[in-house]
Amino acid sequence: MPKFLKNLIVAAAVIAFGAGMAQARDQVKIVGSSTVYPFSSYVAEELGATTKFKSPVVESTGSGGGHKLFGNGVGLDTPDITNSSRRMKASEFEKDQKAGITEITEALIGYDGIAIAQNGANPDFSVTKDELAMAVAADVPMNGKMVKNPYKTWDQINPALPKRPILIYGPPTSSGTRDAFAEMVLGHFANKNKDLYNPISPSNKAEKYEAVREDGVYVPAGENDNLIVQKLTKDKDAFGIFGYSYLEENSDRIKGAKIDGVSPDPATIASGEYPISRSLYFYVKKAHLDKVPGMREYIELFMSEKMIGSRGLLKRIGLIPLADELRAKVQKDVLSYKNLTLDDLKK
Amino acid sequence: MNLDTGTIFFYLFCGVLPLAVVAYFLATRKTFSPSFKGQQMRSTPGSYGWYAVVWTLSPAMLGSLVAALLKLTGVADVPGGALVAAAIILAAAGLSVGVATVKPGLRARQVVERLIVKMLFVASLVSIFTTLGIVLSVTFEAIKFFDMVSLWDFITGTTWNPDEAVPGRGTSGVFGSVPLFAGTFMVTAIAMLVAVPIGLFSAICMSEYASPAFRKVAKPALEILAGIPTVVYGFFAAITVSPLVVHVAEYFGLQADFTNALSPGLVMGVMIIPLISSLSDDVINSVPNSLREGALAMGAYRSETIKNVILPAALPGIVSAFLLAVSRAVGETMIVVMAAGLRANLTWNPLEGMTTVTVRIVDAFTGDQAFDSPETLSAFGLGLVLLVVTLLLNVISLVVIRRFRQQYE
Amino acid sequence: MQAHVSQNYLKKRAGRDKRFIAFSYAAILLAGAFLVFFFVDIVHSAWPAFEQAELRVEVNYNDQARKMGDNALDENVSYLVSRGFTRLIPNLLREDPSLLGTSEDKWVLADSEVDQYLKGKPNRLRKAERQLVDTMRAEGRARLAFNKGFFLNGDSKLPEMAGIWAAAVGSLYVLIITLAFSFPLGVATAIYLEEFAPDNRLMQVVEVNINNLAAIPSILFGLLGLSIFINFMGVPRSSALVGGLTLSLMTLPVIIISTRAAILAIPDSIREGALALGATRWQMVITNILPLSLPGILTGTIIGLARAIGETAPLMIVGMMAYIPEAPDGFTSAATVLPAQIYTWSSDSMRAFTERTSAGIIVLLAVMLLMNGAAIYLRNKYETKW
Repeated sequence: MPKFLKNLIVAAAVIAFGAGMAQARDQVKIVGSSTVYPFSSYVAEELGATTKFKSPVVESTGSGGGHKLFGNGVGLDTPDITNSSRRMKASEFEKDQKAGITEITEALIGYDGIAIAQNGANPDFSVTKDELAMAVAADVPMNGKMVKNPYKTWDQINPALPKRPILIYGPPTSSGTRDAFAEMVLGHFANKNKDLYNPISPSNKAEKYEAVREDGVYVPAGENDNLIVQKLTKDKDAFGIFGYSYLEENSDRIKGAKIDGVSPDPATIASGEYPISRSLYFYVKKAHLDKVPGMREYIELFMSEKMIGSRGLLKRIGLIPLADELRAKVQKDVLSYKNLTLDDLKK
Repeated sequence: MNLDTGTIFFYLFCGVLPLAVVAYFLATRKTFSPSFKGQQMRSTPGSYGWYAVVWTLSPAMLGSLVAALLKLTGVADVPGGALVAAAIILAAAGLSVGVATVKPGLRARQVVERLIVKMLFVASLVSIFTTLGIVLSVTFEAIKFFDMVSLWDFITGTTWNPDEAVPGRGTSGVFGSVPLFAGTFMVTAIAMLVAVPIGLFSAICMSEYASPAFRKVAKPALEILAGIPTVVYGFFAAITVSPLVVHVAEYFGLQADFTNALSPGLVMGVMIIPLISSLSDDVINSVPNSLREGALAMGAYRSETIKNVILPAALPGIVSAFLLAVSRAVGETMIVVMAAGLRANLTWNPLEGMTTVTVRIVDAFTGDQAFDSPETLSAFGLGLVLLVVTLLLNVISLVVIRRFRQQYE
Repeated sequence: MQAHVSQNYLKKRAGRDKRFIAFSYAAILLAGAFLVFFFVDIVHSAWPAFEQAELRVEVNYNDQARKMGDNALDENVSYLVSRGFTRLIPNLLREDPSLLGTSEDKWVLADSEVDQYLKGKPNRLRKAERQLVDTMRAEGRARLAFNKGFFLNGDSKLPEMAGIWAAAVGSLYVLIITLAFSFPLGVATAIYLEEFAPDNRLMQVVEVNINNLAAIPSILFGLLGLSIFINFMGVPRSSALVGGLTLSLMTLPVIIISTRAAILAIPDSIREGALALGATRWQMVITNILPLSLPGILTGTIIGLARAIGETAPLMIVGMMAYIPEAPDGFTSAATVLPAQIYTWSSDSMRAFTERTSAGIIVLLAVMLLMNGAAIYLRNKYETKW
């Protein structure tokens, strides 16, 4: 019987008898971070095109949303893999354990640099991480006291910088890129001025300070918004904050600013020289490995040199590969499906 | 036995449905049997057939419904194979009872028709359950949100900065929804400024001036505007209108954001034109002709008749159309998601970027935050307010239009 | 003097009248102008997507190509050819080992950067690559051909491979579910309200409620779908079933309202005639009311479905905004729909997707126009004035 006809009959039956039962699956389901999404779906497509397996479904739900869906249990109606632009939190790991997901494998796939980009025709721009923090933070120290951020032009922060208005388009509060930026730039800066920042930071810890100014100097905009690039090509004063892959895509129109004297490129990000970068992960629900066809193959393909290798395909779309040695170790761990432990996460 | 849902349903269907067909034929045939001869039948043979079908299907459906309920409430998990078997046995049992009870004195038609009316009644309740479902699903999570954030702060606060809503620090002054509602209000107001004059004048033109030939072209053209999907309008607003607005503003020496509130407002206004024009067209047409003729007989121009007689008479209906359009604009999502940006900004300048309630709801669901974080839950809080506002607008508009109808019909 | 004033006054009135008429026509023309501008703009930006660059290259099925398909091509050219072609070469060789050692000259899909370059759009080709493409074009080895892939492929991360097939099938599946639930429920509700309902409190609540339902923002239906269908009833996320169910609740009020209008338009004499002949109320409904109101019901249903097929926001919440490159093969497998596909493309950072977004829009608009046209045709053809 043609499959479509069977489907029609099933639909009719669903309508007659009501829905609501679990089912077997022939398709890998992946959720999670919007930053890992392009890489994940690239691998999914490759798997679907070159093997007999169906392409995995990749949904971009954000890292938090991904962990939430992933942690709903081991039933087949939950996702098999969640992508994450940050490491799993210990609290999320404990929740998973309670939900019966006792065996999880962690896969580190590479890095994403966070670029501060500007119009490609501008002269090069170079700031330090601290100057950047002073441009973006809601409160800054001045003469030993905390004040609302008064800086309007870059030269007010450091006379050596050009006299150019500060205007930054960056990710909104809901974004993981924003979290990473806040942690690495604002938290880092606040921690250097502990006594001043502690009282106004969450749980009195300066490293958790992440308040961004609200006076229109920092403009929240969507991460993947072509409008930001348009804005940068028009407005020569503006900067945009986004993932390095996005800078790579538009390298003919915009360019990255140097941070601490280092400009963002794959080499500097992978070596850690470029100071604002983060690791990208995915997490595997081992209980599903033998139940969902194609899952092992997807993971093997993703971890292969062809994808995340130093000349791999994902590099072309902006992933920064791991250093050779680390990559070899990660590949071995992932393909032997090493269990993630709470101690790993506390490291 | 572990079957997937599709297969279970497949077997259910293939097992139970043929039984129902068999039941129909057995029952109708029985009415032609000798025992019916000479007796006065209370129903047609077909009714007896349907009577038997009801007997066959309802036990099986009830059975699978119970199984589904058990599964949903987590009491017991009925295996698919057992379910199929049970359903078929129940159906067969029902069939035999049904056919056995077919007797000349049976009022089969009444039984079947009463059942049909009951089913119609149940169907009419679905819409109530839908509303109830929406209210409950929004309120339930919204309560969690308002546990963390005080309602007063939420309604009156003027800064929206969920960034600072981290554990260990109070949430006061962080979730102030005023800027979001200001954004929604701004976009809605711009949309209305576009839609009301154009929509109203179009309606006047259509009902008072246009020749039938012109109407024949213009009316479907306006309806096309209503049929264009919102995601398409959103793309158009973001890719074409936004840059255009920026260029034009620059020409006048003004600085406009690419995510300004003006472009989604303009495009949304165009989307709403047909809503206003068709509703106003209806009310203008339902103003009695005697009023029109009276004014014309006094020597008034048609335009004067419209301005001084028809529009005042049709005003309640037009107000009601206006309110419906406002509620549509307030709840519109895709256009603003694609063109309005995410900056919670309290301003009077439509050239600046503003964000709206619906944008924040979508952003909360697709963002990177943990699901039980206040930021994600705030979507439900916003959803609740959105629901209340649109329902209020709708109820007011219903009351207004009812007054109008009573006056003239 | 007096006469002069009134002359003036009359002139003013006449002027105002003319202006008023001009305004009213201007309003319609303005709306029409927008429509024209809109279509011209979309078609203009969509046009290039219906053509796709192809290159004529020599494919050497050598030993190394069994591992990496790129090796089958000249090194300079391999960067210009779409990965959608080269990645299939190892499979090809595995299936047909006799190809090994042979070579052929054939047209293959070019990379999207080449495509953009040939269409005269901004691209990231290096200077040497541009020169190579220019030479190939001069030799007739580079061309723009009709883009079949756009209609036959599913979504892809490679812009040159991306198509709408999977989304179109997904839309069809969702539409079937929507129709299957909302049509019977909607018509049943309308029949009950018009022909059977007693005039009590409950029914007044139902009536007000239906109007309210029509006004609830679509995104809230998404929240309903998430909490009731996915979290409570366990319908699989991203499936055509959950999308269709959500949309059917949204379409329900449209169908109810138009069916009621169609039933209401039937004069009582018809009802009385049927009843006088001894029909029961139900027989009257099934033999008279329903057939007579069918055109109206169908028109309303088509308009409701046309709205449903373009709806995006609620589907975003129930997980249909995902990377789903294959057409669904069942109502419970993951599916995406046309508007969702358009939205994902529009937010992609690769610029080659912009023209595909517009092309996707054209297809969606064509479907919508077709459906609305059918509705208008039905209405005009079968509309009965009583």
